[in-house]
Amino acid sequence: MICFIALFVFGVLSIFSAKYRPFARQAFDCTFRRLTLRPCNTTLEEEVKSKTVAALLPKSEKLAHFTNKHWDAITWAFTLIMIASLAYSLLGILNYVYYGNCNGPNSTGFCIYGDLFGNGASNPSQLIAPTSLAGIQKGNSNASVTVVEFGCYTCPYTKAAEPSVQKLLAEYNGSILFVYKHFPLPNHNNSYAAALSAMCAADEGKYWEYRSALFERQGEFRANGNATFYSIASSLSLQNFTSCFQNSTHKAELDAQITQGIYSRIYGTPTFFVNGKPIVAPATYDELANPVKEALANSR
Amino acid sequence: MDVQKIRSDFPMLQGGKLIYFDNACTTLKPKQVIDAQTEYYSTYSACSGRSAHHLSKKTDEETAKARETVAKFIGAKQTEILWTKNTSEAINLVAHSLDFSQRKKVVLTNMEHHSALLPFMHLAEKGTIKTEFALAGKDGTFTDDAFSQSIDKNTALVVVHHTTNSTGNPSPYREIVKIAHENGALVLIDAAQGAPHHKIDFKKEDFDFLAFSGHKMLGPTGIGCLVGKSHLLEKLNPFMLGGGTIETVSLSGMKLHSLPDRFEAGIQNYSGILGMAAAANYLMKIGMENIEKYEQELDAELVAAIRQISGAQIYGNTNAKGRSALVSFSLKNVSAHQVALMADSLSQIALRSGLFCAQPAMEHMGAPKGAVRASLYLYNTKDEIRIFKETMEKIAKLA
Repeated sequence: MICFIALFVFGVLSIFSAKYRPFARQAFDCTFRRLTLRPCNTTLEEEVKSKTVAALLPKSEKLAHFTNKHWDAITWAFTLIMIASLAYSLLGILNYVYYGNCNGPNSTGFCIYGDLFGNGASNPSQLIAPTSLAGIQKGNSNASVTVVEFGCYTCPYTKAAEPSVQKLLAEYNGSILFVYKHFPLPNHNNSYAAALSAMCAADEGKYWEYRSALFERQGEFRANGNATFYSIASSLSLQNFTSCFQNSTHKAELDAQITQGIYSRIYGTPTFFVNGKPIVAPATYDELANPVKEALANSR
Repeated sequence: MDVQKIRSDFPMLQGGKLIYFDNACTTLKPKQVIDAQTEYYSTYSACSGRSAHHLSKKTDEETAKARETVAKFIGAKQTEILWTKNTSEAINLVAHSLDFSQRKKVVLTNMEHHSALLPFMHLAEKGTIKTEFALAGKDGTFTDDAFSQSIDKNTALVVVHHTTNSTGNPSPYREIVKIAHENGALVLIDAAQGAPHHKIDFKKEDFDFLAFSGHKMLGPTGIGCLVGKSHLLEKLNPFMLGGGTIETVSLSGMKLHSLPDRFEAGIQNYSGILGMAAAANYLMKIGMENIEKYEQELDAELVAAIRQISGAQIYGNTNAKGRSALVSFSLKNVSAHQVALMADSLSQIALRSGLFCAQPAMEHMGAPKGAVRASLYLYNTKDEIRIFKETMEKIAKLA
């Protein structure tokens, strides 16, 4: 069965290098024979099997024996995975062609085709600054510099950027207006519920404490969901949290923020806008703080 | 015999971990052979027997010396050596040049290489000859009466191996020659595997024709010999004529050259001829008796090693006398091709897998899907056999 995979792999490689073409030809011949219910008469499969088992043997005898014994089953599994992967990729292409995003309509998930073809949203220059300041606000509402963050509590990158956000808020307290907009990633478990729960915490003035707890217990709530939310709410003595959360009180508000994110062509979190200038997932504090410094200097 | 000194002559054995056990296919080349060929191309590359300039004369002299050397190596006269491309061409030369009008029967065996089988099977299909096969037992060896039953007064030619490439065993060629000559038949010996490993005296053995290749005896590829008794070569009808094969020619006729020129049409493979002579010199300097003795030691070690591998099956009778260090075997539940590929990947051991161009022989011995062949030569060592055994044991455990 390895010839099916080899046909695809060597077929692609042979576009770029002639040295893979004999392998691609062998793989094609083998695939054709297998599809026409005849035995493969090339040595390609045996060569791949032998080299694989030989490579495994010095590392793990058990694994080498297992691979040798169950070669057909393993290659079948890889073949099915490859077919599924190809089907998924084709679906992504169709979605990209029809909706401009591989993940389907209204999705904001990462789309590689956008990068590959240079016209997708996965490019900071394509981002559009939000027109509304609706969201969780902190700082000076009259400040000349506004920092908007689109984030997701389940996103490890949003969590990684949190110390920089806190440092920025501490350092530029009073000089900037910070707005947090919820942009829960659709392919992350409990991201939407986490955003709703945080908005309920905000109602009782405990947003930042709740936010901090969410990031701290990110792994836990991604797995357990509501139990963690209630646990945090209880520890913060939030009185109306249960009814607020259960009634999805802030659903419309949250959906509006998501729509704003889609409008801004957010393709990954966290994405910041400093007076409209986008910064995607800053890796260091300076990456976030320098544009703020620059904006403040320009505003004087 | 100083094996380490011999190994130092082979560039491919320097600095690496290569264990070359595919000598029945082709052998490695010592620097003496490579130098002989390089010298021709870099200092006197010219035609032989045609031009009058000094380079041509030098080529004449060197190729004549080469023929003398190879004749000495095989125990024949210079005029009895015809250059061919390889053993296959030498056998085909006999098949297509011998007169089968009086006697049509050709006796072969089921242990022959395709190069010996196919030319005669092809002639039989065309109706030129009739073939009959002397059959070996399941162990690849022949009973005393195998040939006496097949060879008779209608037999024109017996074609038989000196040593098989599938088991390393010799044929009973002395008895065959005796029976054939008693019946007035000729004998063509396929010595592709015999000449590199055993001392052969063409005249003393009373062979009629003998074919062998340069590349299996440390020489270059693309050169081989047909050795034939002079009076028999005279009677052969050359099937390929061209430059250098005639004394005179006019539009009304031609007069063929004397032996061996009449069979060597066109410009010859001079560098190959010189390389083959260098190889023959190299082997004679070490002594074919010494090589034979050393190979028998290696063979005993190799057979013992394979017998100790769990699940290994050896094809052919390894107790036969006069064997080469060559063993065909298989490992239970691991394909021959996988064994060879894994030996290469794990320990850089070069082995042959498959049917060895001897499909009837391998099928007859119970290996229709082929086997693995380890074939050793004078530069191989017992230490290499130890590594080979360890590697085979690892592979055998996969079953």
